[in-house]
Amino acid sequence: MEIEVASGRGDVERGVWRNGGNDGHKGAAYLVWEDLTVVLPNFGNGPTKKLLYGLHGYAEPGRIMAIMGPSGSGKSTLLDSLAGRLSSNVVMTGNILLNGKKQRLNYGTIAYVTQEDVLLGTLTVRETISYSAHLRLPNTLTKDEKKGIIDGTIMEMGLQDCADRLIGSWHLRGISGGERKRLSIALEFLIRPRILFLDEPTSGLDSASAFFVVQALKNVARDGRTVISSIHQPSSEVFALFDDLCLLSGGEIVYFGEAKMAVKFFAEAGFPCPSRRNPSDHFLRCINSDFDVVTATLRGSQRLREADNLADPLGNLATSDIKAMLVYKYNSSEYASRTRSRIQDISTIQGLEIERIKGSQARWWTQLSTLTQRSFANMSRDVGYYWSRIGIYIIVAICVGTLFYDVGTSYTAILARGACGGFVTGFMTFMSIGGFPSFIEEMKVFTRERLNGHYGVAVFVLSNFLSSFPFLAAISVITGTITFYMVKSRTEFSHYVYYCLNIFGCIAVVESCMMIVASLVPNFLMGIIAGAGVLGIMMMTAGFFRLLPDLPKVFWRYPVSLMSYGSWSLQGGYKNDLVGVVFDGLWPGDPKLNGEDVLKNMFGLSLDHSKWWDLFALYCLFLTYRVLFFVILKLKERTTPFFRSLYAKRTIHYLKRRPSFRRKPSFPSRRHYNLHSLSSQEGLSSPIP
Amino acid sequence: MRSSTADDVMMEIEASKPQGNGLVVGGLSPLSETLWKEKTNTEFVGDVSARLTWKDLTVMVTLGNGETQNVLEGLTGYAEPGSFTALMGPSGSGKSTLLDALSGRLAANAFLSGTILLNGRRAKLSFGTAAYVTQDDNLIGTLTVRETISYSARLRLPDKMPWTEKRALIESTIVEMGLQDCADTVIGNWHLRGISGGEKRRVSIALEILMRPRLLFLDEPTSGLDSASAFFVTQTLRGLSRDGRTVIASIHQPSSEFFAQAGFPCPTLRNPSDHFLRCINSDFDKVKATLKGSMKMRFESNDDPLEKITTAEAIRTLIDCYRRSQYCYIAKEKVEEMSKIKGTVLDSGGSQASFLMQAFTLTKRSFLNMSRDFGYYWLRLAIYIVVTICIGTIYLNVGTSYSSILARGACASFVFGFVTFMSIGGFPSFVEDMKVFQRERLNGHYGVTAFVISNTLSAMPFLILITFISGTICYFMVRLHPGFSHYLFFVLCLYASVTVVESLMMAIASIVPNFLMGIITGAGIQGIFMLVSGYFRLPNDIPKPVWRYPMTYISFHFWALQGQYQNDLKGLIFDNQTPDMPKISGEYILEYVFQIDTNRSKWVDLSVIFSMIIIYRIIFFIMIKINEDVTPWIRGYVARRRMLQKNGNQNTTVAPYGLTQSPSLRAYVMDHGSGTSKK
Repeated sequence: MEIEVASGRGDVERGVWRNGGNDGHKGAAYLVWEDLTVVLPNFGNGPTKKLLYGLHGYAEPGRIMAIMGPSGSGKSTLLDSLAGRLSSNVVMTGNILLNGKKQRLNYGTIAYVTQEDVLLGTLTVRETISYSAHLRLPNTLTKDEKKGIIDGTIMEMGLQDCADRLIGSWHLRGISGGERKRLSIALEFLIRPRILFLDEPTSGLDSASAFFVVQALKNVARDGRTVISSIHQPSSEVFALFDDLCLLSGGEIVYFGEAKMAVKFFAEAGFPCPSRRNPSDHFLRCINSDFDVVTATLRGSQRLREADNLADPLGNLATSDIKAMLVYKYNSSEYASRTRSRIQDISTIQGLEIERIKGSQARWWTQLSTLTQRSFANMSRDVGYYWSRIGIYIIVAICVGTLFYDVGTSYTAILARGACGGFVTGFMTFMSIGGFPSFIEEMKVFTRERLNGHYGVAVFVLSNFLSSFPFLAAISVITGTITFYMVKSRTEFSHYVYYCLNIFGCIAVVESCMMIVASLVPNFLMGIIAGAGVLGIMMMTAGFFRLLPDLPKVFWRYPVSLMSYGSWSLQGGYKNDLVGVVFDGLWPGDPKLNGEDVLKNMFGLSLDHSKWWDLFALYCLFLTYRVLFFVILKLKERTTPFFRSLYAKRTIHYLKRRPSFRRKPSFPSRRHYNLHSLSSQEGLSSPIP
Repeated sequence: MRSSTADDVMMEIEASKPQGNGLVVGGLSPLSETLWKEKTNTEFVGDVSARLTWKDLTVMVTLGNGETQNVLEGLTGYAEPGSFTALMGPSGSGKSTLLDALSGRLAANAFLSGTILLNGRRAKLSFGTAAYVTQDDNLIGTLTVRETISYSARLRLPDKMPWTEKRALIESTIVEMGLQDCADTVIGNWHLRGISGGEKRRVSIALEILMRPRLLFLDEPTSGLDSASAFFVTQTLRGLSRDGRTVIASIHQPSSEFFAQAGFPCPTLRNPSDHFLRCINSDFDKVKATLKGSMKMRFESNDDPLEKITTAEAIRTLIDCYRRSQYCYIAKEKVEEMSKIKGTVLDSGGSQASFLMQAFTLTKRSFLNMSRDFGYYWLRLAIYIVVTICIGTIYLNVGTSYSSILARGACASFVFGFVTFMSIGGFPSFVEDMKVFQRERLNGHYGVTAFVISNTLSAMPFLILITFISGTICYFMVRLHPGFSHYLFFVLCLYASVTVVESLMMAIASIVPNFLMGIITGAGIQGIFMLVSGYFRLPNDIPKPVWRYPMTYISFHFWALQGQYQNDLKGLIFDNQTPDMPKISGEYILEYVFQIDTNRSKWVDLSVIFSMIIIYRIIFFIMIKINEDVTPWIRGYVARRRMLQKNGNQNTTVAPYGLTQSPSLRAYVMDHGSGTSKK
């Protein structure tokens, strides 16, 4: 039974790799890096900082390598430089050879699992994997083959038990942290990359789940794949699973070689691991210079009163000295020479071609339909995305309806009708802000998948519109129906249709506006404030608070009110509402007022073009904003590297002045600074019950 | 399963007792001893150390459906002065429950039986005697470490104590916790980079040891810290216990001989605590089973006994072994012995500062926080200026033409509607504030009244600044009704409205479960208020039931508009549609166009808004009080009823009414939080 399953999966895998061939040695990836140096050039007055000092090393298929070291030792820099994801503000020299050839490893050849798991919380594990499979696997595969791959991946990562459970988000309880991490790995593993990079896959997990994650990685490695992972503080269980170890401190190699031999090396160097201590803890204790500061501070506060632990040789030596000694010992040891000779061997293995897989092999319409389906599933399950908004719209619509109930044709009804139109198209559309957090979640998933090249920007923009269409239509029809028939401003059906179409246009434009805002602002709070500000300005220039002819010509009338959805929808709405209606005068004896005259004199509208032109302008605006959203996403992709380098420079500058006990600032790889962004919903749960 | 592991979990190790164990008569460190003496200013009152013992401790939790579950089963143990007791176990084993039970912070639906003795007496561990450091550090991000500690000291130390002594106490605490290096660094929040996680944890501990409690509880003090910081924190805790304090923490550092005797020796090169957790963490069973299922794991033959049996079996073996072992015996004996010693009754060390002092300190701290937190008011000031400049340019020099009649109305409506709406922007910062309040309130630092008053006072200067600046811009750009008193009314009215919104948001914050819901609810309520304010629909046209009668009078927009329309239009003369028609007076417009009651003075309207501020603050105060006192009681009552109904026919070993049940706010908060997250 087990064998059958295994061979079945083998077939499938061969299917994926039909073009490249996957037998024996052919798909194996040998990675070698020689004299790898990374410097952080400083354009200011400070010295240039070296992050990695001429590292040598190699990674072989079928083995799993751990990059370990205290924080700030260059773990992530090494991982980033190997994966070709270094930020642009650092300079790398040295060779990275893949199967003997120098090539830049970027997306496709390798897979990279980042530290945070960006997943759509409303999907189940199986759905997440299968949507991703449909997005990326080539169309040439049949449905069964794809299903085989999906099931194989789930099995391999040990996700069978939770395959049909929801992932969970901030308001939804879902799978555990370890399962999330394995799911992230499964997503990258889906297209069977030859090399898998992982950034701290076990941080934040309890011992059992960390063990499980690394065990799953071990399974991946056993298939003849190369796995490289940075890891912070593995437990003894986890440490025992690693084949190779690369121990870094301050950008230098303290040890490189088989993980099992590391204990021996430390013992030979004069720092034997105490028998009841986790080897990885011991290594880190030896080379983590933070301990020096701790000890010094403790001494200062007269705490360390008893004699220093005599048994511990570490107590008497500063860790910086230990580190220097270890580096020296390593360079002259047999381990170093063994590594060098192995590097020589591997570098000569020539001609093993690694087929470059493009990020996605699916055709764009497959991508579009898959993405639309996924996005629709997400929207329909996330209560906060549209459902709660539909609820709020119904309530507000009923409020408006009762307030303006049966508005009639008296003199005061003229203003009331105007106000009703202003409120519906102005304030009610404001409620779109409610869906902002959910949209930001979706944007995060998009950013991750885009980085891995799963699909294009256009597909995303289009699919987002398609999947949200039913909800927006439902909202506008529901609110339209309630308010239209309660207020009873008109009776004809065509007016009703126009009214609903008008609301739909407004909501769609506001939605697009909010998307643009979401793609520009850094966090959730700023997004809400900026969004509210933009909508406020649009409302102000709509012609309700200040009549259009009275608006100052210079800025407000000419560009702004034309760009505002409010002015078009309000003009159309007024025309729809008032043309052809006859109102009473101010006093009973006064002559009746004509709807057209009211529009001209009281609302200052010109009746040159019909209400349908206004509607058309509204939909044009909608299209424009969508295109703008697309352009911004594209531009952002191009310009982000530039901004990132600026940001990194500033961070370094700031870190230097930071009076904390970590004197040597670590390399500012941006993702490790979790400056608790509000967009990650931090602080969403208020402490007050 | 859960309950049985819990038995094991509790491993006390007297991590390195001081040499003369019997002599720890409140053996304080020389430094803190002098401070302690000086602080109390009395002669040394015998033994101030705390000996905590618990016997046959059982905690039963009632679930939603009336089922009961024993989270802890018959635990016996002790903690003595000068020792550092660690509670450990895999997640879900009951560590935190034990800690909660000992510190008297159990959830309302948890029932406790058994005895907990403090110095041989049944003592209620109220806030203060025992300090409790929670897992998350709720600190004010904009203050420096020294400021945080010194404000906390001023909040709690007695007023009589001279400032120099307080200062010495603060400095000694900083030194004791090894915080000298970062004493003048800000703590940091979501947009401000500050001290590291380990430092934050030590600040949290420092705040609790400031009052020199004899008993210190810590919930996972090292979780989420890197090895160096974890080492530092643990070292500090050990230092604290040396001074004769009783320290109990859920932490990873147990003794290893016991496991070896039970047949699970710790393999060499394995950290003992890793080993222990590996032995008793039944999650590993699941991992192994799944891995076997995925046919990848080729089990290498191994000497490790753990590979051969499941964790569940291992746990059973261990529990049996413990029951029979001398460790268990010794522990029981020790408990007996300790519970006989009648020690001093420890006084509650809550806050000793007077109410005025608390309110003053809190106001100062809150003011400092507001002035440093960019997102609290400064950002809003910038936005207000931008928005009012927009309004100002749109209605620039509005004049007295015919069309300006409506424009003036719209302008007022927009200012009071939209500008006040922007107050929502300060909500996240306020929520952060509330978190800090929650923690300090639980530890008895100050009362609810002091908090509400201080928050009102400290926000006042900022709100005045914001509204006066934006009000002035708006007033003079639009050129509303000339005259200083009219200007003053406009600005005061804006100030009152913004403050009402602020107070409304606070009241909402105390009701809704989370931040997002708060913003949505706030926006919804304001939208409805705006709708009935008399601008969108004239006051006389508003349907009488619901909308006109309670709603318009509740809406602050209504009062603001009534006042401002009068303020603006009264006494002005407007042009008519055509020059030849007679001019229109403002009074006429007020009465017939806007339908305003001109008999009521605008100042009456303003005072109504001001009284609304007070009403909302009182609501806020009452809501907090209800959450603190009434809700846990109700929950406990419901839980008890459920349990009674369920167990009505069965014979229960413990009568539910005999159980002591401790209502506490924190438990409620946590329950509530998890409840909402499940939704």
